[in-house]
Amino acid sequence: MNKDNDKQQAQDQAKDQASLIVDIATRQDRSAFASLFGHFAPRIKSLLMRGGASSELAEDLAQEAMISVWRKASYFDPARASASTWIFTIARNLRIDIARRKRREEVYAVLETVEPEAPEQPDEILGASQREARVREALKILPPDQMEVVRLAFVEGMSQSEIAEALGLPLGTVKSRTRLAMARLRQKLEEIK
Amino acid sequence: MTISHHPNDETLAAYAAGSLDEGSAFVIAAHLAMCPACRHSVRDFECIGGALLGDAEPSRLGRAHDGAAMQELALAPEPQLVSPPKPGVDTVERLISLYGQGRWKWRGFGVHSADIGVPVEDGVRVFLLKAAAGTKMPQHTHSGVELTLVLKGAFEHEFGRFEPGDIEDADSQIDHRPMVDAGSECICLVAMSGRLQLHGLVGKLFQPFVRI
Repeated sequence: MNKDNDKQQAQDQAKDQASLIVDIATRQDRSAFASLFGHFAPRIKSLLMRGGASSELAEDLAQEAMISVWRKASYFDPARASASTWIFTIARNLRIDIARRKRREEVYAVLETVEPEAPEQPDEILGASQREARVREALKILPPDQMEVVRLAFVEGMSQSEIAEALGLPLGTVKSRTRLAMARLRQKLEEIK
Repeated sequence: MTISHHPNDETLAAYAAGSLDEGSAFVIAAHLAMCPACRHSVRDFECIGGALLGDAEPSRLGRAHDGAAMQELALAPEPQLVSPPKPGVDTVERLISLYGQGRWKWRGFGVHSADIGVPVEDGVRVFLLKAAAGTKMPQHTHSGVELTLVLKGAFEHEFGRFEPGDIEDADSQIDHRPMVDAGSECICLVAMSGRLQLHGLVGKLFQPFVRI
């Protein structure tokens, strides 16, 4: 019961965060920005620090990421991604070397605007945050060895061969652990609602 | 367009994590431009990042605060691109034009290649490969990673038939001998590290001349 409440709360929060970004896009709402900043900037900082950035750099990049949230708000599509997933992709792109970032960002921008393949459903705000909730559940029950390779890739931004080297494992083992983790995730997402 | 060959899940996961080398990420992006199913998978895998970010222990901020960021918000949010690109080869051309394409050069075996200006990272180069209709490539393996995305025409080998939008996500284990369809030339976008390792008598004779 309690668990269900938590789940509901997390989904409500995700929905609220999505509508804050929509408020920025539609009416340049600065108070919406302030509350997103308060929630996400400290988390982006901690994610980037775990990826090896100094406290100072992580903080600069967190601020830059939040400014991108403001500037790119019109690209946010609540049917496609939850607020925290979308903000993760912005922070992820900032991890790339500054020299290479501009073109890479252009690549992502082109892809992000590729016409959606299916007509959007009115309940898709819930859809995106529900999917994220499912992924979160799947991550909780992932075997530790699979979770480790996932965390090193997504949090620390390490490539498969860097992970292999760091853990002293053959590359093939890192790949198969990642593959198994993704299969579990897919399975969780396909379960009947 | 029905796409039957997709990247491996571990490759899509690395793309979603942002930890794929530049060249491979570019070819995966081009496949995504053509493949709704993989766009969907990447979106799902990106949720991992969203979940881990949402659950991250917040760090204390020093200098940065929303007020300081506000100062930089004088600019209004960017408007969206006027015309969203259509999924497919047109979008791939748009992606290629971001980095620029070099001249076509003759490579032997009825094959030409043209470099794409994606910075080399982890030894991975990106180029277009154009093979004349009916070309038989020599039997070969790769000494590193290879991603091959078909943009035009088709080729076939022991492991299947590859048409526009299909991608071959091959590692050094795979030994293959692609044959291009007789009806049309075949153009592929390739990310590759290492060199081709040719096999067989013909391959061994030609190895010194092949610079792919």
